Amino acid sequence: MNKSYDALVVGAGIGGIRAALDLAETGRKVVLTDTRPHIGGLLAQLDYQFPNDHCGMCKMLPLTERDSSSQFCMRKGLFHKNIDILLHTDLLELSGEPGTFKAVLSRQSSFVDPEKCIGCGLCAEACPVSVPHEFNAGLTQRTAVHLPVPHAIPNHYVVDLDSCERCWQCHDACPTRAIDFRFSERKDFRILVASPRPDAAERLAGWFKHQNFPFLHAKTGQEALDTLAKDETIRLLVIDVRIDDPDAERLLERAQEIRPTLPVVASCPPEREHEARALVDLGARDYVVGPLNPATLVPWLDKLYMRLVSEERIEVDVAAVVLAAGFDCYDPGDPLHGAGQTLGYGRLPGVVTSLEFERMCSSTGPSGGRLARHDGQELKRIAWLQCVGSRDLQKKADYCSSVCCMISLKEANLARKRTFGRKGGPAECTVFYMDMRVFGKEYQSYRDTAESNGVRFVPARLHTVLPDPDDPAALRVQYVDDAGRITTETFDMLVLAVGARPPKAMQRLARAAGIETNEWGFCATDYFEPARTSRVGVFAGGAFGQPRDIAESVIQSGAAACNASRLVNLFAPIKDRGPEPEPRYRDVSREQPRILAALCSSCPTLDRALDVDDLARRLEGVESVVRVMRVDNACTGEGWKAVAEAAAELEPNRILIGACMPYAYVPRLRELGAAIGLNPALMDVVDVHSLVMGAMSTKHPTDAAVRERAEEDVFTRVHMSLMRLMGADPSPLPEPQEVTRAALVVGGGLAGMTAAMAIADHGYPVTLVEEAEHLGGTAMKLRRTLSGQDPVRFMEDLVGQVTRHPNITVHTDARVALSMGRAGRFFSVVSLDEGSAPVEHGVTVLATGGHESRIYDYGFRVHKSVLTQLELEQRLASGEIDASALSGVAMMQCWRSRDEHRNYCSRVCCAGMLKNLLLLKERAPDLPVYVFYRDIMSYGFSEQYYTKAREAGAIFVRYSPENRPQVEFEDGRPVITAYDPVLAAPIRVHADLLALSTGIEPNENWELAEIFGVHLDANGFFQEADYKWRPVDFLKQGVFVCGLARAPGSMGETVASAKAAAQRAVRVLSEKRLVCGSVVAEVRDSLCSRCGRCIDVCPYGARSLDLDRDRIVVDELLCQGCGSCAAACPNGASVLRGFTDVQVMSVIDAALGNLPTPRTAPAPAAATPESDPEPATAAPDAADTGPTEDPA
Amino acid sequence: MAPATEHADAATAKAPEAPRAPAAAPAPAPDPRAQALEAALDEVRHMVAGCMQCGTCSASCPNQFAMDLTPRRMWRLLLHGYADEVMDSKTFYLCSSCYGCTLRCPRGLPLTRAMAALKRASILRGGPGQRRHGAFYATFVDNVRRLGRVNETDLMAHYFVALRDPLAPFSFMPLGLRMLAKGKAGLHGSPQRGRLGPLFAKVREMEEKP
Repeated sequence: MNKSYDALVVGAGIGGIRAALDLAETGRKVVLTDTRPHIGGLLAQLDYQFPNDHCGMCKMLPLTERDSSSQFCMRKGLFHKNIDILLHTDLLELSGEPGTFKAVLSRQSSFVDPEKCIGCGLCAEACPVSVPHEFNAGLTQRTAVHLPVPHAIPNHYVVDLDSCERCWQCHDACPTRAIDFRFSERKDFRILVASPRPDAAERLAGWFKHQNFPFLHAKTGQEALDTLAKDETIRLLVIDVRIDDPDAERLLERAQEIRPTLPVVASCPPEREHEARALVDLGARDYVVGPLNPATLVPWLDKLYMRLVSEERIEVDVAAVVLAAGFDCYDPGDPLHGAGQTLGYGRLPGVVTSLEFERMCSSTGPSGGRLARHDGQELKRIAWLQCVGSRDLQKKADYCSSVCCMISLKEANLARKRTFGRKGGPAECTVFYMDMRVFGKEYQSYRDTAESNGVRFVPARLHTVLPDPDDPAALRVQYVDDAGRITTETFDMLVLAVGARPPKAMQRLARAAGIETNEWGFCATDYFEPARTSRVGVFAGGAFGQPRDIAESVIQSGAAACNASRLVNLFAPIKDRGPEPEPRYRDVSREQPRILAALCSSCPTLDRALDVDDLARRLEGVESVVRVMRVDNACTGEGWKAVAEAAAELEPNRILIGACMPYAYVPRLRELGAAIGLNPALMDVVDVHSLVMGAMSTKHPTDAAVRERAEEDVFTRVHMSLMRLMGADPSPLPEPQEVTRAALVVGGGLAGMTAAMAIADHGYPVTLVEEAEHLGGTAMKLRRTLSGQDPVRFMEDLVGQVTRHPNITVHTDARVALSMGRAGRFFSVVSLDEGSAPVEHGVTVLATGGHESRIYDYGFRVHKSVLTQLELEQRLASGEIDASALSGVAMMQCWRSRDEHRNYCSRVCCAGMLKNLLLLKERAPDLPVYVFYRDIMSYGFSEQYYTKAREAGAIFVRYSPENRPQVEFEDGRPVITAYDPVLAAPIRVHADLLALSTGIEPNENWELAEIFGVHLDANGFFQEADYKWRPVDFLKQGVFVCGLARAPGSMGETVASAKAAAQRAVRVLSEKRLVCGSVVAEVRDSLCSRCGRCIDVCPYGARSLDLDRDRIVVDELLCQGCGSCAAACPNGASVLRGFTDVQVMSVIDAALGNLPTPRTAPAPAAATPESDPEPATAAPDAADTGPTEDPA
Repeated sequence: MAPATEHADAATAKAPEAPRAPAAAPAPAPDPRAQALEAALDEVRHMVAGCMQCGTCSASCPNQFAMDLTPRRMWRLLLHGYADEVMDSKTFYLCSSCYGCTLRCPRGLPLTRAMAALKRASILRGGPGQRRHGAFYATFVDNVRRLGRVNETDLMAHYFVALRDPLAPFSFMPLGLRMLAKGKAGLHGSPQRGRLGPLFAKVREMEEKP
């Protein structure tokens, strides 16, 4: 019986995590796999993210029902009750139909038993190997047995078999015997050698004397097949391509029929290597080229053996699959396609990739975050080179990688910040670019910030980097500036902004998943449905279908999750799902604290570093502790049973476990809580092992002072946790709130209709409110897409589906007049022509859209020859404009946008311009077309149309905002005078038509923003909770945003955001009742002076002043327990449940060793004095009378 | 860079109409030479249409210091339709076919081929510019054809004649003296004289066939 999941998510980077969380939060069981040994993908290596140069990944964690997953740094790990994570795992095969897929996964072994590894690092100390460390982009070295990332939890060592030298020193060094190379099973690993050579087996047996593999020999193919048929203990088949009767290919096929899972390898003489490769294509695992010699063959076969016996083949049944394998960075050092040769990468140490620079900035990086030149000198001048490996036809990359511009801006900003205040002044930062693609929301202002921070922008492409003759550690570059002058500059460091490439194993993954790839090797996706792949039931999340930044990957994954969820819903409707069994916890609020403490003693570290019995005796002396027990292997089921038994016997109302890796215990605590009826919020796990790890690695673990110190450290740590538990609030959680399982969608355009459909398909009723007379919105006006699809038909289909859908009620000519309530329970009034209609709903999706902006300038609406791109599109489609009758067309980009008027890029105008341009050129190839632009934003794969437009003969003239083209009119025809930077001279263009790219403006949203209590950004778009991590959420829960109302975007992007928003909405609707988290803020009304400071500081909008009752109220569902209010409150009226002052003070006292503890151990007194009982009593007193110190 | 700016300024003055408009050629009897020239230039335009003005070609050109137009600006002028300015420049004659730009061009444009095509177009067009800038090419090939290999002394003598500039020999004097001193330029005849005659004849024959 295979394990069964609702969805398989391949790739545990940010995209995969988002998709998995989106599905898991609606109660779907998800298996999340990644080929790397850690989660986080590429982002595990990036410490800083635009726009605030922090990480912020944790913002993706669930906010509703947040106790269902561990709430801590996501870079370290992800623990959700509905997500099973399989690392080091590849998808081998996906068969079956949507809804009933069968996936075969292969999990590689790390050769380190995670149950036993305590992360002490002794193995790495013993390992003689030194290879470049992938995590630091090759800037540091690692051993063969290593930690893949420094911050993961739990963090176990991993053996990289490829670089392993098979010296087995790590195996001998491991104190817990966690490393297993399967020595003992070699004698059972029977190898059948099919070779015409008569002595083949004997020869191999001679070579493998030490390994002791049993070899069998078959002289013909038939003999090999006979042996296979009768001997089931054969574990490996070696086929010599020279075998006959039947030949090698046939033998392989037959062998696979007889034993489908039998691994087969080929061996061949050098001249017949192609045949061996053909066998690998047919399913052989690997091949080896002769003449064989023991020095290479023995390690090869031995490693193969270790892989084969330790690899795990996992078969799972899944309903839907989300592929989110992301992208890899272009390697400029690649000998075939690298740009490194001329750019000096790999040859000059000052030339680094953007990823390497990112590692240099990181505090876990090679230099601990200190920026310096490789010879130790100060970094004075740094340059970024854009488009390395992107937008380069010679490198087979006629696409824009979309993310590098922002990465370089961020890095330049970061470098300025890092070196600010230095004696020599901050580093000079220069970005060499062709088009600065700042097309996302807030990107333009980030670029402006960079510019005002002193980052220099030079439009040029560098090609050659040489060492500076005067200072060999510096780099000299040459480029042509706008005036045509050759300019030579010297830099201390050059950062190559490397582009995106499909993941390395893409072809294999595509074959396994049965999906098609596009011409650049990325996953082929549908234009209108960018989450859809060529295979039904398999969806593309994150940056799998096109290079994307974090925000868009998150949206894309949301859309993929939504599609998957819709599919799963057909088989297991959420609506029909019974309520999950809710654990009943006994009410312990009236009991004195009784703490059961358990110390895990499975690992010898603790024993070696200190006297555990003594520690236990001391802990037993602490107030309220009923027993300190020692458990063997708290992390195993057995150890856990011992804890559960003791808990059942003693009936404690608090439990503390002293073990390692506390985060990993969250699900266990939940189980234990359900078993013994104790709220898991009253249990805690404290890390006692990593504290003594430091003591262990010192040379004298037996030194009395060191032991004393270690014991004191551990005692203090446990004591602190005891104090925290003692003060934990045992009162039961507030009553859960019923959810109205219906949705309100405001806006009947593409986004609104898509969101409505997605929610309605999950079985929930949806009310769709459209202001206009008909559904459709802005997308209805489009006639064509850049890649040639028909938007009209798509929209008409969609309108038809929406109007026919049984779960959707459409109100046109309607507006939302009023709305009250909160996530799960809203009450709104929709005003209609014939009066008003009340709507009860649990969630709201705002999709009010946008429109082409209209600013009357450049003769617009004065001369008939001036029109917007959208008008040009419509007239070209209707035939009103005859391209062949024109003598010249001019187009103007960024018209009144990306400047003081509207400081954002509308991101669709460049694509719109290219679309019209190519159509004009298709109809009249000789028609002169001039485009005046600032930066062409043909991001992603739309870059190919930019190339096509140039090749078709259109002339692109860049202008700067200071020097805009001037337009005059002669006989009503526009004459444009502009400065051509390449000619360094003005040019004049006479045209029949002037098409203006006017950009997108949001519709009037302020009224809706007020009704729903959400915010608008400076440009009038809705302000999402977090641009990167929560792009379709508002800070106010239960309200979501999508489409043009959030940010400008193409039709595909609009659909993706609508689906992502729908998925978030379904998450709320999937609950019958919503429960708040255990840590929420409360107001002590008698102390509150209604000053309102807490309302202003609350980042979640959870607090408000209830005028009727004259008190501050907290929405428990919105409150995330951040504690800002408690810090801001001048009276101590705002308190955080589970973080009371008494509790925090006593924890601090414990940390300082200020609490009296009866020392029963005869050990010599340590630094902690037994005197001074004052604080123990003083602390609670102080807290009771209100805090004397103002925490703010 | 003064000449380039001049060119562009001149271009500005001359650009009242949208260049390359098909209707802008109302010549009653098209000259076949002019047509051939236009076709040749169109071919070059096609080759470089994908240019995105990054300047890689200009910055990586080893002969750029001697050019009056940078390659980037030359492509740009050509695309804008200023053929005369391009034809009058010596930039493409200075191309030594090192293929550096072709190798590095991110758009993968055949720039060296375009340079050669411009040379051919220039010969087709003739005119004072071509005579001046093309003089060395013509003399060099002629020298090789006659002598079977390059004879520096003979080459320079013919080159000066072709330049029709009495002052030109003086500017080359220091170089010539150095070469003489090193024995790089002698007065001896070539033992290979006429040896390449059949090769040139064959090439001409092939070129004349369509």
